Amino acid sequence: MKHPFRILQTGRNDAFFNMGLDEAILGSVADSAALPTLRLYGWNPSAISLGYFQGITDEIDIEACERQNVDIVRRITGGGAVFHDAEVTYSIVIPEGHPLAPSSILDSYSVICSGIIQGLRELGIEAEFAPINDIVSGGRKISGNAQTRKRGCILQHGTVLLKVDVDKMFTLLKVPKEKALGKMIEDVKARVTSVSAILRGEISFEEAAKSMRTGFLRALNMDAREEEPRPEELAKAAELSVTKFRTREWIYKR
Amino acid sequence: MKIEAVGKPAGCKLLRISAELTEPVNDDCVVGAISIRGDFFAIPEEKFEMAESRLRGTALGKIGDVFDAEIRDLGIQVMGISGQGILATIRGAIDETSLQDTANRA
Repeated sequence: MKHPFRILQTGRNDAFFNMGLDEAILGSVADSAALPTLRLYGWNPSAISLGYFQGITDEIDIEACERQNVDIVRRITGGGAVFHDAEVTYSIVIPEGHPLAPSSILDSYSVICSGIIQGLRELGIEAEFAPINDIVSGGRKISGNAQTRKRGCILQHGTVLLKVDVDKMFTLLKVPKEKALGKMIEDVKARVTSVSAILRGEISFEEAAKSMRTGFLRALNMDAREEEPRPEELAKAAELSVTKFRTREWIYKR
Repeated sequence: MKIEAVGKPAGCKLLRISAELTEPVNDDCVVGAISIRGDFFAIPEEKFEMAESRLRGTALGKIGDVFDAEIRDLGIQVMGISGQGILATIRGAIDETSLQDTANRA
């Protein structure tokens, strides 16, 4: 049986609007005002998103982010800090109890991540789910994912790395005191890969997003309708951007 | 005594813990203000803060069991964090502090 879904391709937006729109979509699906929804998007300007439980000053060189015009936002999901630069990001919202939303968090990560794995396969990349919340190719991380459950819905969002600039990333993120920067950079370079590194060539955001769309449709057996966000969702996203995600109270919560 | 503990104990993501402990520091010392940060997941997120604040006043040696009980009572699903992981991270920082103190005295 195919699962009715809505697909939103919302292009590149700033970090605060992006997080606001994910939460607004969660509200729409929770209120049954919208079908389960897959959204594909990017970030402009580049940003670092912090996991809900991370301490901002533990993880981020705030002045370096300001100097390099990199926004900082806190997610409503747990997990680690992510430097959003050359990547395709997705979010998916599914009501709990839906066949694609197992009650076990680990199982639901596995189901939803199968869309990304199939999307990578569309690009000619073999990858696999690496519990708790990663996808790896050749043993190296190519996608990180984070999930929350609110108002009777699962919201999972995650990234597919198109290119990785580890050196730049470590000008923005703090390195644990006990680790040498050079060693840390080499470790991460060895553990992380990207679509362009594997394919030995650049791939556009649009092409990668198209493959992810196809991957989700196939892996999750979606009967999908391409739509624009509802005006109410855009208004709510803009409101949340200002009243929540941009506020010092939220960003410096921990 | 204020400790800043960082660790990745077995089965856990990176944990960063700031905690006030009464002295002398042993399993019977009492945990004061405590902040648990890191890459872990806890759903619903907002309830985690309640569990964290309830660790205040706990004997250090019991903090793992108390955390696990609070998580259970509050209906929080966690991944990448556990009571034993919290205790191991704090003990690691205490051991490190003791070693440094010993080295400083030598």
